[in-house]
Amino acid sequence: MKQVVPLEKARDDAIFGSKAVGLGRAIRDGLPVPPGFALAGSIVESVAAGEKRAIKEVAKRVKPLGGPLAVRSSAVDEDGAQASFAGQHLTLLNVPSSDELNAALSEIWWSANSDSAITYRKRVGLFTRPSVGVVVQALLNPDTAGVMFTRNPVTGADERVIEASWGLGEAVVAGIVIPDHYRVDRSGRVLERKPGHKTVAVRSVPEGGTVEEQVPSERVARLCLDDDQLLELNQLADRCEQVYGPSRDVEWALAAGKLYLLQCRAVTRAGL
Amino acid sequence: MRGVPIEALRRVPLFSDLNKRELQEIARLFKERRFSKGETVVQEGSGGAAFFVIEAGEAKVFVGGEERSILGPGDFFGEIALIDEGTRMATITASSDLLCYGVTYWDFRPLVEKNGVIGWKLLQRMAKMLRDTRGVEDVSQAAGNGRESSGSG
Repeated sequence: MKQVVPLEKARDDAIFGSKAVGLGRAIRDGLPVPPGFALAGSIVESVAAGEKRAIKEVAKRVKPLGGPLAVRSSAVDEDGAQASFAGQHLTLLNVPSSDELNAALSEIWWSANSDSAITYRKRVGLFTRPSVGVVVQALLNPDTAGVMFTRNPVTGADERVIEASWGLGEAVVAGIVIPDHYRVDRSGRVLERKPGHKTVAVRSVPEGGTVEEQVPSERVARLCLDDDQLLELNQLADRCEQVYGPSRDVEWALAAGKLYLLQCRAVTRAGL
Repeated sequence: MRGVPIEALRRVPLFSDLNKRELQEIARLFKERRFSKGETVVQEGSGGAAFFVIEAGEAKVFVGGEERSILGPGDFFGEIALIDEGTRMATITASSDLLCYGVTYWDFRPLVEKNGVIGWKLLQRMAKMLRDTRGVEDVSQAAGNGRESSGSG
C-alpha cells in the first residue's frame, strides 16, 4: 500500500482520513483545490517515531510542492457526522519546506494524543487509538479568505452565509477579527452585505509560521468581497453540494484572482 | 533516533524491576515530543493517555493552582495515565523549551498484555509502591493517634 499519494488518489478514509479523501474527491470532480499529497496515518506515526525510511519517503514524495507548505491533520473519524474533531488536531501553516516537515508531522501526531484531544475523545465516547493522516499542500498567499455555509446554519434558510476577511482564513476561523458577513440566495442575488471590523490579517512569514499584521485603517471596515466574487462563491457552494451533499461548511481562499476550496465538511453541531 | 535511551527509563520507579531487554522493549515505543516555553504540558483534571520523561528543559508542577515542584532532565510524569485511563492529578507547564520522550496508553497496553513477565513485574512494583504509600499513611495516622502503625498492607 502506498502511504503517500497525490490528493486525487486518496480514496480510503480508514487510511488517509476524511479530510484527505474529501479533498481527493473534490479534485477528481473538478473543484479548485490547491495541489497536495495525502499521508497515511501509519507513515505519520512512523515519522513521529523517528523512522528514517519513513522520513526519507515523505521528503522525497512532497518535494515537488516546494514551499511553503500547509500541513493539516486528517484524522480517521475526524469531521464525521457524529463527532467533530474541529480544533482538536493541529493545522500548521507555512512550514517552510519539506525539510521542516518531520517536526510538523510529529506535532500533528502528538496533537491527536494531547490531553485536550483525549478529553474530547472520552467525552464523545471515542477513547480509542487515534490515527491521524495528514494533508500537505502548497500554501496559498490569499488576498481574502474565510468560511461559507451552503445553508444558513442558524435559521436553516436556503441561502449561503459567507464570512470573509483579509489574508489567511485563520483570522476568521480562530475568531481573531469580526469578519464581513454576507448572505446570498441560490440564484446568486446578494441578500445582505455587512462590513466587519478587520483590524488584523494573518499572513505567512518567510522563516515559517504566521503573523498577525495590522490592516490599514481604510481597509478595516471596507468590504473584502465584491458581487462577482460572491457569485463565484455561490457557484462553488453549488458544486460542493453536488459533490458532497447538502449543508456544507466550506473553507475557501481567493489568491491572485483565483478561488480555491480548502476544506468542505458536513455541518456538525460544533459548526452551528 | 527511535525511542528513548533506556538509562532514562531506569530512573522511573514503575520500571525499576525490569531488566535491560524488557526496558528496551518499552523504550522503543517512545516518541520525541517538544513543548514551547509557557505551554501547558498536562492539565489537572483533564483526560490523558501519555507518559513523559524529560530529556532537556524545565517544567513546573501545580496542584490546585499552587506550585508544588520543578521538574528537570530525568524527571517523569503521567505514568498513572498509562494504566488507569484516569484524569491528570496535576498541571505541568513548560518553564523553558522542553524536550520529552512520551509513550501512549495505546502503545503501552498491548506490550503489557502480550508480555506477562513485564506485566507481573509492573504489578509487583505497583504493589510495593502502594505498600510504601500506605505505610506512610499508617505512620502519620498512628503519630496523630499516639499509637504505633500496624504496618499491615
